[in-house]
Amino acid sequence: MTTESVQAVPRLAADDVPVGSVSTRTLAAEWARLWTVRSTWWFLAAAAVATIGLGLVAGSSADPAESQGDAAWAVSAISAMPAQFALLALAVTAVAADYATGGIVLTLQWTPRRGVLFAARTIVVVVTTTVVAVVLGFLSALAGYLAASPTLRLPVGEGVDTLGTVAFVLAASSALAVGLGFLLRSVAAALVTVFLLILVLPLFLLAAGQPWMVDVASFLPGSGTAFLLLGGGPPGMSTEAAFAVLGAWGVGGLAAGWVRLARDDAAR
Amino acid sequence: MIEVRGLTKRYGNALAVDDLSFAVEPGKVTGFLGPNGAGKSTTMRLVLGLDRPTSGEALVDGQPFASLRDPLRRVGALLDAGLVHPGRSGRAHLQVAARTAGLPRRRVDEVIDLAGLGGAAGRRVKGYSLGMRQRLGIAAALLGNPSVLIFDEPINGLDLDGVRWLRGLLRQLADEGRTVLLSSHLLAEMQQTADRLVVIGRGRLIADATTDEVLQGMGGPRARLRTPEPDRMLAELTRRGLTARAHGDEIEVEGASAEQVSVVAHEVGVPLHHLSDGTHDLEQAYLELTERHVDHRSGPQPSAPTTPKEER
Repeated sequence: MTTESVQAVPRLAADDVPVGSVSTRTLAAEWARLWTVRSTWWFLAAAAVATIGLGLVAGSSADPAESQGDAAWAVSAISAMPAQFALLALAVTAVAADYATGGIVLTLQWTPRRGVLFAARTIVVVVTTTVVAVVLGFLSALAGYLAASPTLRLPVGEGVDTLGTVAFVLAASSALAVGLGFLLRSVAAALVTVFLLILVLPLFLLAAGQPWMVDVASFLPGSGTAFLLLGGGPPGMSTEAAFAVLGAWGVGGLAAGWVRLARDDAAR
Repeated sequence: MIEVRGLTKRYGNALAVDDLSFAVEPGKVTGFLGPNGAGKSTTMRLVLGLDRPTSGEALVDGQPFASLRDPLRRVGALLDAGLVHPGRSGRAHLQVAARTAGLPRRRVDEVIDLAGLGGAAGRRVKGYSLGMRQRLGIAAALLGNPSVLIFDEPINGLDLDGVRWLRGLLRQLADEGRTVLLSSHLLAEMQQTADRLVVIGRGRLIADATTDEVLQGMGGPRARLRTPEPDRMLAELTRRGLTARAHGDEIEVEGASAEQVSVVAHEVGVPLHHLSDGTHDLEQAYLELTERHVDHRSGPQPSAPTTPKEER
Protein backbone atom coordinates (compact mmCIF):
# COMPACT_ATOMS: atom_id res chain seq x y z
CA MET A 1 0.00 0.00 0.00
CA THR A 2 1.37 3.36 -0.92
CA THR A 3 1.38 5.96 1.75
CA GLU A 4 -0.29 9.04 0.48
CA SER A 5 1.46 12.10 1.77
CA VAL A 6 -0.72 14.43 3.72
CA GLN A 7 -0.50 18.09 2.97
CA ALA A 8 0.50 20.05 6.03
CA VAL A 9 -2.31 21.94 7.70
CA PRO A 10 -1.25 25.51 6.96
CA ARG A 11 -0.61 27.39 10.15
CA LEU A 12 -2.31 30.67 10.73
CA ALA A 13 -0.03 33.65 11.05
CA ALA A 14 -0.63 35.66 14.17
CA ASP A 15 -1.32 38.78 12.15
CA ASP A 16 -4.23 37.01 10.47
CA VAL A 17 -6.24 37.72 13.57
CA PRO A 18 -8.06 40.96 12.99
CA VAL A 19 -9.07 43.19 15.81
CA GLY A 20 -12.78 42.66 16.01
CA SER A 21 -15.21 41.66 18.62
CA VAL A 22 -17.05 38.39 18.62
CA SER A 23 -20.27 40.27 18.01
CA THR A 24 -19.06 42.02 14.87
CA ARG A 25 -17.82 38.74 13.44
CA THR A 26 -21.07 37.01 14.26
CA LEU A 27 -23.00 39.81 12.55
CA ALA A 28 -20.78 39.38 9.48
CA ALA A 29 -21.34 35.61 9.55
CA GLU A 30 -25.11 36.02 9.86
CA TRP A 31 -25.08 38.50 7.00
CA ALA A 32 -23.22 35.96 4.86
CA ARG A 33 -25.63 33.21 5.94
CA LEU A 34 -28.59 35.30 4.84
CA TRP A 35 -27.33 36.19 1.38
CA THR A 36 -25.67 32.92 0.38
CA VAL A 37 -28.94 31.02 0.03
CA ARG A 38 -31.26 31.48 -2.92
CA SER A 39 -34.50 31.59 -0.94
CA THR A 40 -33.57 35.04 0.38
CA TRP A 41 -33.35 36.36 -3.16
CA TRP A 42 -36.62 34.73 -4.17
CA PHE A 43 -38.53 36.27 -1.28
CA LEU A 44 -36.95 39.61 -2.07
CA ALA A 45 -38.01 39.33 -5.70
CA ALA A 46 -41.56 38.44 -4.66
CA ALA A 47 -41.74 41.47 -2.36
CA ALA A 48 -40.38 43.73 -5.10
CA VAL A 49 -42.86 42.46 -7.66
CA ALA A 50 -45.77 42.96 -5.23
CA THR A 51 -44.84 46.51 -4.20
CA ILE A 52 -43.64 47.95 -7.49
CA GLY A 53 -46.31 46.09 -9.45
CA LEU A 54 -49.08 47.42 -7.21
CA GLY A 55 -47.56 50.89 -7.50
CA LEU A 56 -47.69 50.74 -11.28
CA VAL A 57 -51.23 49.35 -11.33
CA ALA A 58 -52.51 51.93 -8.84
CA GLY A 59 -50.74 54.75 -10.66
CA SER A 60 -51.92 53.86 -14.12
CA SER A 61 -55.51 53.41 -12.98
CA ALA A 62 -55.60 56.67 -11.02
CA ASP A 63 -58.47 58.84 -12.29
CA PRO A 64 -57.14 62.39 -12.87
CA ALA A 65 -60.59 63.78 -12.07
CA GLU A 66 -60.86 62.07 -8.69
CA SER A 67 -57.28 61.76 -7.51
CA GLN A 68 -55.78 64.99 -8.74
CA GLY A 69 -53.13 66.15 -6.29
CA ASP A 70 -53.36 63.10 -3.99
CA ALA A 71 -50.13 61.81 -2.43
CA ALA A 72 -48.72 58.69 -4.09
CA TRP A 73 -47.57 57.50 -0.63
CA ALA A 74 -50.90 55.79 0.02
CA VAL A 75 -49.79 53.06 -2.35
CA SER A 76 -46.66 52.42 -0.23
CA ALA A 77 -48.78 51.44 2.74
CA ILE A 78 -51.25 49.43 0.68
CA SER A 79 -48.56 47.48 -1.20
CA ALA A 80 -46.73 46.75 2.06
CA MET A 81 -49.70 44.61 3.14
CA PRO A 82 -49.06 41.76 0.65
CA ALA A 83 -45.31 42.39 0.43
CA GLN A 84 -44.84 41.92 4.17
CA PHE A 85 -45.64 38.23 3.86
CA ALA A 86 -42.74 37.66 1.47
CA LEU A 87 -40.46 39.50 3.89
CA LEU A 88 -41.82 37.64 6.92
CA ALA A 89 -41.27 34.38 5.07
CA LEU A 90 -37.71 35.56 4.47
CA ALA A 91 -37.31 36.24 8.20
CA VAL A 92 -38.78 32.90 9.28
CA THR A 93 -36.63 31.01 6.77
CA ALA A 94 -33.47 32.85 7.78
CA VAL A 95 -33.98 31.68 11.37
CA ALA A 96 -35.64 28.29 11.11
CA ALA A 97 -33.93 26.81 8.03
CA ASP A 98 -30.98 26.14 10.31
CA TYR A 99 -33.21 23.74 12.26
CA ALA A 100 -34.62 22.07 9.14
CA THR A 101 -31.15 21.38 7.72
CA GLY A 102 -29.54 20.63 11.08
CA GLY A 103 -27.11 23.47 10.40
CA ILE A 104 -27.88 24.87 13.86
CA VAL A 105 -25.44 22.29 15.24
CA LEU A 106 -22.58 23.89 13.31
CA THR A 107 -23.90 27.39 13.90
CA LEU A 108 -23.73 26.84 17.66
CA GLN A 109 -20.34 25.15 17.38
CA TRP A 110 -19.03 28.25 15.70
CA THR A 111 -20.92 30.66 17.95
CA PRO A 112 -21.54 28.81 21.22
CA ARG A 113 -22.61 31.96 23.03
CA ARG A 114 -26.28 31.80 22.34
CA GLY A 115 -26.98 35.38 23.33
CA VAL A 116 -24.49 36.59 20.73
CA LEU A 117 -26.02 34.39 18.05
CA PHE A 118 -29.57 35.39 18.95
CA ALA A 119 -28.77 39.09 18.90
CA ALA A 120 -26.80 38.91 15.64
CA ARG A 121 -29.40 36.88 13.79
CA THR A 122 -32.25 39.05 15.04
CA ILE A 123 -30.51 42.29 14.12
CA VAL A 124 -29.44 41.11 10.66
CA VAL A 125 -32.88 39.77 9.77
CA VAL A 126 -35.00 42.56 11.25
CA VAL A 127 -32.83 45.35 9.87
CA THR A 128 -32.80 43.68 6.45
CA THR A 129 -36.57 43.25 6.19
CA THR A 130 -37.22 46.73 7.57
CA VAL A 131 -34.80 48.50 5.24
CA VAL A 132 -36.01 46.49 2.26
CA ALA A 133 -39.64 47.32 3.12
CA VAL A 134 -38.85 51.03 3.28
CA VAL A 135 -36.91 50.99 0.01
CA LEU A 136 -39.64 48.99 -1.74
CA GLY A 137 -42.31 51.28 -0.22
CA PHE A 138 -40.51 54.24 -1.71
CA LEU A 139 -40.15 52.53 -5.09
CA SER A 140 -43.81 51.55 -4.97
CA ALA A 141 -44.91 55.15 -4.47
CA LEU A 142 -42.44 56.34 -7.09
CA ALA A 143 -43.81 53.79 -9.59
CA GLY A 144 -47.35 54.99 -8.87
CA TYR A 145 -46.30 58.63 -9.16
CA LEU A 146 -44.58 58.07 -12.51
CA ALA A 147 -47.37 55.89 -13.92
CA ALA A 148 -50.02 58.45 -12.95
CA SER A 149 -47.98 61.48 -13.97
CA PRO A 150 -48.98 64.23 -13.56
CA THR A 151 -52.01 63.31 -11.40
CA LEU A 152 -50.25 62.31 -8.12
CA ARG A 153 -47.77 64.14 -5.92
CA LEU A 154 -44.87 62.95 -3.70
CA PRO A 155 -44.85 65.31 -0.70
CA VAL A 156 -41.79 64.68 1.49
CA GLY A 157 -43.43 65.06 4.90
CA GLU A 158 -46.17 62.55 4.19
CA GLY A 159 -43.57 60.19 2.75
CA VAL A 160 -41.59 60.20 5.97
CA ASP A 161 -44.75 59.45 7.96
CA THR A 162 -45.88 56.62 5.72
CA LEU A 163 -42.48 55.00 5.30
CA GLY A 164 -41.88 55.36 9.04
CA THR A 165 -45.09 53.46 9.69
CA VAL A 166 -44.13 50.78 7.17
CA ALA A 167 -40.75 50.50 8.89
CA PHE A 168 -42.36 50.04 12.30
CA VAL A 169 -44.84 47.44 11.06
CA LEU A 170 -42.12 45.40 9.36
CA ALA A 171 -39.68 45.71 12.25
CA ALA A 172 -42.27 44.54 14.78
CA SER A 173 -43.71 41.73 12.69
CA SER A 174 -40.23 40.57 11.60
CA ALA A 175 -39.22 40.44 15.25
CA LEU A 176 -42.29 38.29 15.87
CA ALA A 177 -41.36 36.07 12.90
CA VAL A 178 -37.77 35.71 14.13
CA GLY A 179 -39.01 34.84 17.62
CA LEU A 180 -41.43 32.25 16.24
CA GLY A 181 -38.64 30.75 14.13
CA PHE A 182 -36.47 30.27 17.21
CA LEU A 183 -39.44 29.11 19.30
CA LEU A 184 -40.98 26.61 16.88
CA ARG A 185 -37.76 25.53 15.12
CA SER A 186 -39.70 24.78 11.96
CA VAL A 187 -40.13 26.93 8.87
CA ALA A 188 -43.60 25.54 8.16
CA ALA A 189 -44.92 25.86 11.70
CA ALA A 190 -43.56 29.37 12.13
CA LEU A 191 -44.92 30.50 8.75
CA VAL A 192 -48.38 29.14 9.48
CA THR A 193 -48.37 30.85 12.88
CA VAL A 194 -47.30 34.16 11.37
CA PHE A 195 -50.08 33.99 8.78
CA LEU A 196 -52.66 33.06 11.41
CA LEU A 197 -51.68 35.90 13.74
CA ILE A 198 -51.27 38.58 11.10
CA LEU A 199 -53.90 37.72 8.52
CA VAL A 200 -56.30 34.87 9.14
CA LEU A 201 -57.31 35.14 12.80
CA PRO A 202 -58.02 38.89 12.88
CA LEU A 203 -60.07 38.66 9.66
CA PHE A 204 -61.96 35.62 10.88
CA LEU A 205 -62.74 37.03 14.31
CA LEU A 206 -63.89 40.36 12.91
CA ALA A 207 -66.02 38.64 10.29
CA ALA A 208 -67.64 36.42 12.93
CA GLY A 209 -68.51 39.62 14.74
CA GLN A 210 -69.27 38.39 18.28
CA PRO A 211 -68.28 41.18 20.69
CA TRP A 212 -65.77 39.01 22.54
CA MET A 213 -64.25 37.95 19.24
CA VAL A 214 -63.78 41.57 18.25
CA ASP A 215 -62.15 42.18 21.64
CA VAL A 216 -59.76 39.29 21.08
CA ALA A 217 -59.05 40.46 17.55
CA SER A 218 -57.99 43.88 18.76
CA PHE A 219 -55.17 42.24 20.73
CA LEU A 220 -53.78 40.33 17.73
CA PRO A 221 -50.80 41.73 15.83
CA GLY A 222 -52.65 41.58 12.50
CA SER A 223 -55.14 44.17 13.76
CA GLY A 224 -52.30 46.58 14.45
CA THR A 225 -50.90 45.92 10.97
CA ALA A 226 -54.27 46.40 9.27
CA PHE A 227 -54.94 49.61 11.17
CA LEU A 228 -51.52 51.13 10.54
CA LEU A 229 -51.25 50.17 6.86
CA LEU A 230 -54.85 50.26 5.65
CA GLY A 231 -56.73 52.18 8.32
CA GLY A 232 -58.84 49.06 8.89
CA GLY A 233 -58.90 46.70 11.83
CA PRO A 234 -61.34 46.34 14.68
CA PRO A 235 -63.65 49.26 15.54
CA GLY A 236 -62.34 51.55 18.23
CA MET A 237 -58.65 50.89 17.41
CA SER A 238 -56.41 53.89 17.92
CA THR A 239 -53.02 54.59 16.43
CA GLU A 240 -51.44 54.31 19.87
CA ALA A 241 -53.17 50.98 20.51
CA ALA A 242 -52.09 49.67 17.11
CA PHE A 243 -48.45 50.56 17.76
CA ALA A 244 -48.63 49.10 21.26
CA VAL A 245 -50.24 45.80 20.22
CA LEU A 246 -47.85 45.21 17.32
CA GLY A 247 -44.81 46.27 19.34
CA ALA A 248 -45.78 43.99 22.23
CA TRP A 249 -46.10 40.99 19.91
CA GLY A 250 -42.69 41.73 18.43
CA VAL A 251 -41.03 41.94 21.83
CA GLY A 252 -42.99 38.99 23.20
CA GLY A 253 -42.15 36.81 20.21
CA LEU A 254 -38.46 37.56 20.59
CA ALA A 255 -38.57 36.81 24.31
CA ALA A 256 -40.23 33.44 23.74
CA GLY A 257 -37.74 32.53 21.00
CA TRP A 258 -34.82 33.52 23.20
CA VAL A 259 -36.01 31.37 26.10
CA ARG A 260 -36.21 28.32 23.83
CA LEU A 261 -32.76 28.93 22.33
CA ALA A 262 -31.14 29.62 25.69
CA ARG A 263 -32.66 26.75 27.64
CA ASP A 264 -33.10 23.84 25.29
CA ASP A 265 -30.59 21.48 23.70
CA ALA A 266 -29.40 22.75 20.33
CA ALA A 267 -31.31 20.52 17.97
CA ARG A 268 -34.12 18.83 19.81
CA MET B 1 -7.11 18.40 26.20
CA ILE B 2 -10.68 17.28 26.73
CA GLU B 3 -11.87 16.34 30.20
CA VAL B 4 -15.19 14.69 30.87
CA ARG B 5 -16.14 14.43 34.53
CA GLY B 6 -19.14 12.56 35.84
CA LEU B 7 -21.05 13.45 32.71
CA THR B 8 -24.68 12.35 32.71
CA LYS B 9 -27.39 13.11 30.16
CA ARG B 10 -30.97 11.99 30.49
CA TYR B 11 -33.55 12.39 27.71
CA GLY B 12 -36.90 11.80 29.36
CA ASN B 13 -36.55 8.35 30.89
CA ALA B 14 -33.62 7.31 28.74
CA LEU B 15 -30.16 7.62 30.21
CA ALA B 16 -27.96 8.39 27.21
CA VAL B 17 -24.76 9.10 29.12
CA ASP B 18 -24.26 7.68 32.60
CA ASP B 19 -21.65 9.16 34.92
CA LEU B 20 -18.96 9.15 32.25
CA SER B 21 -15.44 10.31 33.06
CA PHE B 22 -12.37 10.25 30.85
CA ALA B 23 -9.68 12.52 29.53
CA VAL B 24 -8.43 12.94 25.98
CA GLU B 25 -4.79 13.96 25.91
CA PRO B 26 -2.91 15.98 23.33
CA GLY B 27 -0.44 14.33 20.96
CA LYS B 28 -2.50 11.17 20.58
CA VAL B 29 -5.33 9.90 18.47
CA THR B 30 -7.99 8.74 20.89
CA GLY B 31 -10.63 6.40 19.53
CA PHE B 32 -14.11 6.64 20.99
CA LEU B 33 -15.82 3.30 20.62
CA GLY B 34 -19.18 1.91 21.43
CA PRO B 35 -22.11 0.19 19.76
CA ASN B 36 -24.85 2.27 18.18
CA GLY B 37 -26.78 4.14 20.82
CA ALA B 38 -23.93 3.85 23.32
CA GLY B 39 -23.91 7.60 23.76
CA LYS B 40 -20.85 8.59 21.71
CA SER B 41 -22.58 11.33 19.73
CA THR B 42 -24.41 12.56 22.80
CA THR B 43 -21.11 12.81 24.67
CA MET B 44 -19.63 14.79 21.80
CA ARG B 45 -22.64 17.14 21.75
CA LEU B 46 -22.25 17.66 25.49
CA VAL B 47 -18.54 18.41 25.10
CA LEU B 48 -19.43 21.00 22.45
CA GLY B 49 -22.04 22.65 24.66
CA LEU B 50 -24.82 21.83 22.21
CA ASP B 51 -26.78 19.88 24.78
CA ARG B 52 -26.90 20.67 28.45
CA PRO B 53 -25.71 17.84 30.73
CA THR B 54 -28.09 16.57 33.38
CA SER B 55 -25.07 16.54 35.68
CA GLY B 56 -21.31 16.56 35.44
CA GLU B 57 -19.19 18.68 33.15
CA ALA B 58 -17.06 18.60 30.05
CA LEU B 59 -14.08 20.89 29.68
CA VAL B 60 -11.98 21.80 26.68
CA ASP B 61 -8.55 23.10 27.66
CA GLY B 62 -9.96 23.59 31.15
CA GLN B 63 -12.98 25.62 30.06
CA PRO B 64 -16.55 24.75 29.14
CA PHE B 65 -16.74 24.92 25.35
CA ALA B 66 -19.65 27.36 25.40
CA SER B 67 -17.54 29.91 27.24
CA LEU B 68 -14.82 29.96 24.56
CA ARG B 69 -14.58 33.37 22.94
CA ASP B 70 -13.03 32.08 19.76
CA PRO B 71 -14.15 28.44 19.53
CA LEU B 72 -13.24 27.86 15.88
CA ARG B 73 -9.58 28.55 16.65
CA ARG B 74 -9.60 26.23 19.65
CA VAL B 75 -11.77 23.30 18.64
CA GLY B 76 -12.54 21.87 15.21
CA ALA B 77 -15.43 19.45 15.22
CA LEU B 78 -17.32 17.41 12.69
CA LEU B 79 -20.39 15.77 14.20
CA ASP B 80 -22.57 14.95 11.21
CA ALA B 81 -21.51 15.87 7.71
CA GLY B 82 -25.14 15.88 6.60
CA LEU B 83 -26.03 18.83 8.79
CA VAL B 84 -25.20 21.55 6.28
CA HIS B 85 -27.54 23.89 4.41
CA PRO B 86 -27.88 22.14 1.04
CA GLY B 87 -28.45 25.38 -0.84
CA ARG B 88 -25.12 26.96 0.04
CA SER B 89 -21.94 26.22 -1.91
CA GLY B 90 -19.13 24.51 -0.08
CA ARG B 91 -17.06 27.67 -0.32
CA ALA B 92 -19.90 29.86 1.00
CA HIS B 93 -20.34 27.44 3.91
CA LEU B 94 -16.66 27.77 4.79
CA GLN B 95 -16.80 31.54 4.34
CA VAL B 96 -19.54 31.79 6.94
CA ALA B 97 -17.24 29.91 9.32
CA ALA B 98 -14.29 32.10 8.35
CA ARG B 99 -16.27 35.25 9.08
CA THR B 100 -17.36 33.87 12.42
CA ALA B 101 -13.73 33.38 13.38
CA GLY B 102 -12.51 36.54 11.68
CA LEU B 103 -10.32 34.57 9.28
CA PRO B 104 -9.24 35.83 5.86
CA ARG B 105 -10.69 34.48 2.62
CA ARG B 106 -7.46 32.81 1.56
CA ARG B 107 -7.70 30.58 4.60
CA VAL B 108 -10.88 29.17 3.07
CA ASP B 109 -8.98 28.35 -0.12
CA GLU B 110 -6.23 26.71 1.91
CA VAL B 111 -8.56 24.28 3.64
CA ILE B 112 -10.46 23.61 0.39
CA ASP B 113 -7.13 22.46 -1.10
CA LEU B 114 -6.19 20.61 2.05
CA ALA B 115 -9.42 18.63 2.11
CA GLY B 116 -9.23 17.90 -1.59
CA LEU B 117 -12.55 19.60 -2.37
CA GLY B 118 -11.11 21.42 -5.38
CA GLY B 119 -13.65 22.36 -8.01
CA ALA B 120 -16.57 21.05 -5.97
CA ALA B 121 -16.21 23.98 -3.59
CA GLY B 122 -18.14 26.25 -5.93
CA ARG B 123 -21.07 23.84 -6.24
CA ARG B 124 -24.03 23.70 -3.93
CA VAL B 125 -23.75 21.14 -1.13
CA LYS B 126 -27.02 19.60 -2.36
CA GLY B 127 -25.06 17.74 -5.05
CA TYR B 128 -22.28 16.46 -2.79
CA SER B 129 -21.71 12.80 -2.07
CA LEU B 130 -21.38 11.81 1.59
CA GLY B 131 -17.63 11.56 1.09
CA MET B 132 -17.49 15.13 -0.21
CA ARG B 133 -19.59 16.33 2.70
CA GLN B 134 -17.15 14.63 5.06
CA ARG B 135 -14.30 16.44 3.35
CA LEU B 136 -16.21 19.72 3.64
CA GLY B 137 -16.79 19.06 7.32
CA ILE B 138 -13.12 18.23 7.86
CA ALA B 139 -12.15 21.41 5.99
CA ALA B 140 -14.40 23.42 8.31
CA ALA B 141 -12.94 21.69 11.36
CA LEU B 142 -9.38 22.57 10.30
CA LEU B 143 -10.23 26.14 9.29
CA GLY B 144 -9.22 27.81 12.53
CA ASN B 145 -6.06 25.71 13.01
CA PRO B 146 -7.48 24.37 16.29
CA SER B 147 -5.56 22.45 18.93
CA VAL B 148 -8.47 20.13 19.67
CA LEU B 149 -10.23 18.07 17.00
CA ILE B 150 -13.41 16.06 17.45
CA PHE B 151 -14.71 13.82 14.66
CA ASP B 152 -17.85 11.71 14.83
CA GLU B 153 -17.63 8.82 12.35
CA PRO B 154 -15.53 10.78 9.85
CA ILE B 155 -14.73 7.73 7.75
CA ASN B 156 -18.36 7.14 6.73
CA GLY B 157 -18.75 7.62 3.02
CA LEU B 158 -15.08 8.20 2.27
CA ASP B 159 -13.59 6.15 -0.53
CA LEU B 160 -10.38 4.17 -0.05
CA ASP B 161 -8.17 7.09 -0.99
CA GLY B 162 -10.17 9.26 1.39
CA VAL B 163 -9.78 6.81 4.25
CA ARG B 164 -6.04 6.63 3.68
CA TRP B 165 -5.82 10.39 3.47
CA LEU B 166 -7.83 10.82 6.66
CA ARG B 167 -5.76 8.25 8.52
CA GLY B 168 -2.59 10.12 7.59
CA LEU B 169 -4.16 13.43 8.50
CA LEU B 170 -5.25 12.25 11.95
CA ARG B 171 -1.79 10.84 12.61
CA GLN B 172 -0.22 14.09 11.53
CA LEU B 173 -2.58 16.22 13.63
CA ALA B 174 -1.75 14.15 16.71
CA ASP B 175 1.98 14.24 15.95
CA GLU B 176 1.73 18.02 15.82
CA GLY B 177 0.63 17.85 19.44
CA ARG B 178 -3.08 18.35 18.90
CA THR B 179 -5.79 16.54 20.81
CA VAL B 180 -7.67 14.23 18.46
CA LEU B 181 -10.89 12.45 19.48
CA LEU B 182 -12.46 10.24 16.87
CA SER B 183 -15.44 7.97 16.99
CA SER B 184 -15.92 5.27 14.43
CA HIS B 185 -17.68 1.99 14.02
CA LEU B 186 -14.96 0.84 11.63
CA LEU B 187 -13.00 -0.88 14.35
CA ALA B 188 -10.30 -2.31 12.16
CA GLU B 189 -9.63 1.30 11.20
CA MET B 190 -9.33 2.26 14.87
CA GLN B 191 -6.82 -0.50 15.38
CA GLN B 192 -4.57 1.20 12.84
CA THR B 193 -5.34 4.78 13.77
CA ALA B 194 -5.96 5.13 17.47
CA ASP B 195 -3.27 5.25 20.17
CA ARG B 196 -5.80 5.10 22.96
CA LEU B 197 -9.32 3.82 23.18
CA VAL B 198 -12.23 5.01 25.25
CA VAL B 199 -14.87 2.31 25.01
CA ILE B 200 -18.42 2.96 26.18
CA GLY B 201 -21.61 0.94 26.22
CA ARG B 202 -25.01 2.25 27.21
CA GLY B 203 -23.49 5.56 28.17
CA ARG B 204 -21.03 4.00 30.61
CA LEU B 205 -17.29 3.73 30.49
CA ILE B 206 -16.15 0.19 29.71
CA ALA B 207 -12.47 0.70 29.00
CA ASP B 208 -10.03 3.58 28.87
CA ALA B 209 -6.54 2.43 27.96
CA THR B 210 -4.04 2.24 25.12
CA THR B 211 -5.21 0.33 22.08
CA ASP B 212 -2.62 -2.37 22.81
CA GLU B 213 -3.81 -2.76 26.38
CA VAL B 214 -7.40 -3.07 25.32
CA LEU B 215 -6.46 -5.70 22.76
CA GLN B 216 -4.18 -7.67 25.08
CA GLY B 217 -6.64 -7.44 27.90
CA MET B 218 -9.15 -9.45 25.96
CA GLY B 219 -9.00 -13.21 26.50
CA GLY B 220 -5.32 -13.41 27.34
CA PRO B 221 -2.42 -14.15 24.97
CA ARG B 222 -2.78 -15.88 21.65
CA ALA B 223 -0.34 -17.44 19.23
CA ARG B 224 -0.32 -18.70 15.64
CA LEU B 225 1.92 -21.36 14.20
CA ARG B 226 2.54 -23.53 11.15
CA THR B 227 4.08 -26.95 11.39
CA PRO B 228 4.50 -30.03 9.14
CA GLU B 229 3.05 -32.11 12.02
CA PRO B 230 -0.15 -30.30 12.89
CA ASP B 231 -1.98 -33.27 14.39
CA ARG B 232 0.76 -34.06 16.85
CA MET B 233 1.17 -30.43 17.79
CA LEU B 234 -2.57 -30.04 18.32
CA ALA B 235 -2.60 -33.07 20.57
CA GLU B 236 0.38 -31.87 22.61
CA LEU B 237 -1.12 -28.41 23.07
CA THR B 238 -4.49 -29.81 24.07
CA ARG B 239 -2.82 -32.21 26.51
CA ARG B 240 -1.31 -29.14 28.22
CA GLY B 241 -4.74 -27.65 28.70
CA LEU B 242 -4.51 -25.09 25.93
CA THR B 243 -7.24 -24.41 23.42
CA ALA B 244 -5.81 -25.00 19.98
CA ARG B 245 -7.63 -25.05 16.64
CA ALA B 246 -6.49 -25.65 13.12
CA HIS B 247 -7.32 -22.96 10.56
CA GLY B 248 -6.20 -24.30 7.21
CA ASP B 249 -2.48 -24.93 7.55
CA GLU B 250 -2.26 -22.71 10.62
CA ILE B 251 -2.89 -23.52 14.24
CA GLU B 252 -4.26 -20.91 16.56
CA VAL B 253 -3.56 -21.25 20.27
CA GLU B 254 -5.48 -19.44 22.94
CA GLY B 255 -4.10 -18.77 26.39
CA ALA B 256 -0.43 -19.03 25.43
CA SER B 257 2.10 -16.65 23.96
CA ALA B 258 4.45 -17.56 21.10
CA GLU B 259 7.20 -17.97 23.69
CA GLN B 260 5.22 -20.60 25.62
CA VAL B 261 4.30 -22.42 22.42
CA SER B 262 7.94 -22.53 21.34
CA VAL B 263 8.82 -24.27 24.61
CA VAL B 264 6.13 -26.89 23.96
CA ALA B 265 7.38 -27.44 20.42
CA HIS B 266 10.94 -27.78 21.65
CA GLU B 267 9.95 -30.29 24.37
CA VAL B 268 8.12 -32.56 21.97
CA GLY B 269 10.51 -32.01 19.08
CA VAL B 270 8.03 -30.73 16.53
CA PRO B 271 9.52 -28.39 13.91
CA LEU B 272 7.81 -25.04 13.46
CA HIS B 273 7.70 -23.19 10.13
CA HIS B 274 6.07 -20.15 11.57
CA LEU B 275 5.30 -18.86 15.04
CA SER B 276 3.90 -15.49 16.07
CA ASP B 277 1.93 -13.77 18.77
CA GLY B 278 -1.63 -13.49 17.56
CA THR B 279 -3.10 -10.02 17.42
CA HIS B 280 -6.63 -9.74 18.57
CA ASP B 281 -9.05 -8.48 16.12
CA LEU B 282 -10.25 -5.26 17.64
CA GLU B 283 -13.72 -5.94 16.38
CA GLN B 284 -13.79 -9.15 18.35
CA ALA B 285 -12.30 -7.59 21.45
CA TYR B 286 -14.74 -4.79 21.31
CA LEU B 287 -17.75 -7.00 20.83
CA GLU B 288 -16.68 -9.12 23.78
CA LEU B 289 -16.24 -6.03 25.94
CA THR B 290 -19.51 -4.41 25.07
CA GLU B 291 -21.56 -7.59 25.00
CA ARG B 292 -20.36 -8.63 28.40
CA HIS B 293 -21.14 -5.21 29.65
CA VAL B 294 -24.52 -4.90 28.04
CA ASP B 295 -25.72 -8.46 28.66
CA HIS B 296 -24.71 -8.79 32.25
CA ARG B 297 -25.57 -5.43 33.61
CA SER B 298 -27.80 -6.78 36.32
CA GLY B 299 -25.56 -9.73 37.08
CA PRO B 300 -22.11 -9.65 38.62
CA GLN B 301 -19.81 -7.44 36.57
CA PRO B 302 -16.85 -9.18 34.97
CA SER B 303 -13.56 -7.71 35.98
CA ALA B 304 -12.23 -6.18 32.84
CA PRO B 305 -8.48 -5.96 33.28
CA THR B 306 -8.30 -2.82 31.17
CA THR B 307 -10.92 -0.93 33.08
CA PRO B 308 -9.30 1.43 35.52
CA LYS B 309 -12.66 2.80 36.50
CA GLU B 310 -14.69 0.85 38.99
CA GLU B 311 -18.06 -0.36 37.82
CA ARG B 312 -20.84 0.83 39.95
